[in-house]
Amino acid sequence: MSEPVLAARALSKSFGPNDVLKGIEFEVHAGASVALCGENGAGKSTLIKLLTGLYHPTSGHVEFNGNQEDWSSPRASLDAGIAVVHQEFSTIGALSVAENIFLDAEPLTRFGLIDRKALVSRTEALLDKLGIHLPARSLVDELSVADKQMVEIAKALRSDARVLILDEPTAVLSQNETRHLFKIINELRARGLGIVYVSHRLDEIFEICTDITVIKDGVVTSQGPVADYSHDTVIAAMVGRELGNLFPEKPHGAEAGIPMLAVRDLVVADGVPPVSFEVKAGEILGLAGLVGSGRTELALAIYGAEAVSGTVLIEGEPLDYRSPSNSIDAGILMLTESRKDDGLFLNSSVARNFAATTPGHGVHPARVAIGHEEARARVMKDRFGVVVDNVGLPISALSGGNQQKVLIARLLENRPKVLILDEPTRGVDVGAKSEIYKMLRHLADEGMAILAISSELIEIVGLCDRVFVMRDGELAAELMSQEISEEAIMSVAAAETSSHHGVASNG
Amino acid sequence: MDDVLRMTRAQPVHLVVLALIGLVVLAGMYSSDRFATPLNFANVQDQMVALALVALAQTVVILSGGIDLSYAGALGLLTVVFASIAGEDPASFAAAIAVVLSLGVFIGAVNGGIVTFVGIHPLIVTLGTSTILSGLALLITRQPTGSVPLFFEDLVYGRIGMIPYGTIFTLFLYLLAGFLLWKTRLGLRIYAIGDNEQAASISGVPVKSTKLIVYALSGFLAAVTAIYICGRFGVGDPRAGVGFDLKSITPVIVGGTLLAGGRGGVLGTLLAVIVLALLANVLNFMNVSSFYQWIAEGLIIIAAVSIFVGRKSK
Repeated sequence: MSEPVLAARALSKSFGPNDVLKGIEFEVHAGASVALCGENGAGKSTLIKLLTGLYHPTSGHVEFNGNQEDWSSPRASLDAGIAVVHQEFSTIGALSVAENIFLDAEPLTRFGLIDRKALVSRTEALLDKLGIHLPARSLVDELSVADKQMVEIAKALRSDARVLILDEPTAVLSQNETRHLFKIINELRARGLGIVYVSHRLDEIFEICTDITVIKDGVVTSQGPVADYSHDTVIAAMVGRELGNLFPEKPHGAEAGIPMLAVRDLVVADGVPPVSFEVKAGEILGLAGLVGSGRTELALAIYGAEAVSGTVLIEGEPLDYRSPSNSIDAGILMLTESRKDDGLFLNSSVARNFAATTPGHGVHPARVAIGHEEARARVMKDRFGVVVDNVGLPISALSGGNQQKVLIARLLENRPKVLILDEPTRGVDVGAKSEIYKMLRHLADEGMAILAISSELIEIVGLCDRVFVMRDGELAAELMSQEISEEAIMSVAAAETSSHHGVASNG
Repeated sequence: MDDVLRMTRAQPVHLVVLALIGLVVLAGMYSSDRFATPLNFANVQDQMVALALVALAQTVVILSGGIDLSYAGALGLLTVVFASIAGEDPASFAAAIAVVLSLGVFIGAVNGGIVTFVGIHPLIVTLGTSTILSGLALLITRQPTGSVPLFFEDLVYGRIGMIPYGTIFTLFLYLLAGFLLWKTRLGLRIYAIGDNEQAASISGVPVKSTKLIVYALSGFLAAVTAIYICGRFGVGDPRAGVGFDLKSITPVIVGGTLLAGGRGGVLGTLLAVIVLALLANVLNFMNVSSFYQWIAEGLIIIAAVSIFVGRKSK
């Protein structure tokens, strides 16, 4: 076989004591498109950043056109011919399509001024070549998300690229737009570009990729031509880990409690199908699905932050006027996914953070004694095992896990009936994770209904009594006790529906 | 047509400002016979040139996502330095111009340097430098001081019909700035980093040097304004800049430029300067206390931004 255009040779990357990638071997040939698969956190993004020079390898090297390369910056790899379409858009709304595509590479007149005519004509020629129909003079602000993605692709290909890396390019595209993108990718491939395609959607991978490389925990677990794979074998290579004793035991044959939270025909946003389900007292219900499948949006809708229509009932009582503050009064509390932005007062003490939502709890509001917060916080500290010498220290001095414990403890001060947790252990070390799981199980045993969102499959599998897998905003599958496994969740989450992304539902 | 609209950065809110200009003119004609006279129109223009110049500088800084509050102190120091050197003969006058323009660029470059390389918010940096410059100006002199050559005063007060030379000069600088923003790489970079600094950086825009140039340009225009002010008043005044820090922002916002950066242009600023100057003039004719002028200005700021925000949220 011919020499690969771009390759990783025994590529490793460590951040401090964490080995993110361990001896990755990866090749892209001209005219081939390689799918890069793996769970969240498997190391895909790190690999891309190494290939393009945003990170430098700890050991091993990147090979481009057969030469060993050590890119000094992403600009260097771009100039050499590696174009990347990032997940986060780098388009600029205030500029036109043409100005975006040729930003800082505008054609100039002999006086060094921008040649507006050439700018537009070169943009039109490029878009024409790519089969993208966009007016070159339109402001990017006025474009749809999909068209912004097209601008991004055109920008990546404004100079002659040898390799195009696409990171989750269809996450924001509709079915037609995805089709169009695939056409463009196939044409580029026919012209001899090497493509690296990162996606969670297996059907897409089987449709447009020629090879597959699967990464798990920083190691390549499987690679080969796409013909050698089926959905199941790809999933099997992506997942599969021992649960160990990280999780508390689930109650066997738990008798169903009364429905604590009921959701009826909740429409989260226009065009998303209504959702109905219940969470029973004593139950931990998991919401699994890919990032962007609508989990957080659903949770926020239940909490009252956003929704179009529908009813939420607590112990059979419908909540009339829905807002977060009404939900809190009714007993629904939510822990959001971004601890630092939404939950913590980083410069305040542990005690102040803990008592923030319930100041003067348990005493007359006019007679809150000095030291009351600290006294309550010391009780909390012992009860939840928060590791801190003094509750008067700023909470920023605590580890992520201990911060999260304080936040959960704070929620519990409001005596919730229903607890919604979005990524409850993000950024938390393994030891603290285990303690948080035990805490949640204990709360459920006491009769609380818990709804947990997590991108870590192992957490959903180990912790939850029942799981809903979300896809494109709907509850695609319900899994009960024994059916809950990483494979089962992944095969639902990564499948495509004919209604939205269904590019290959019949074959 | 599209290109013309984009080049001028015309926005619907400009129609509102134009309508406001019409209303104020009507109110002026109704309130006094002396309003619609060449002498008065020239007077209004004389009143607005200094504000128009600093507002132009502020527009460019705000477009890039920054802000410059240093004019309050900078104008004071720059006028004092200029009037101290200028004297009566052409040679010292030329030297004064060279010194003050360089000093202006230096002040701007220091602002830009601290903003980009130390990473402090421009609001804080420029508030700090403004205070330092005020202190320096007052150390040099407590009273208005120095002088400028008569020929320069004549130039500043000279006019063609009802158009003062100052107006022509100002319009020329506005055109130049508009050209810069539309036809040069620097212009596109300013919009790009003002809109989304991170995206601009990923796209290869040299964010730091662009910011540095923007603040240096702002300092340069402050120096030009200072020289004009000296020509108007014949002396350098350490308090010449008082109030210009916030006054320079008002027309930028009323003219439809987004305070967060990236959106807007110099045309809106010019229209807003005109409406504010006319308003002051008409209220004067109506014998209204100048404090009412403050109230009117405040209402216009809030109304203009409300219209802009209301339009966006639909």
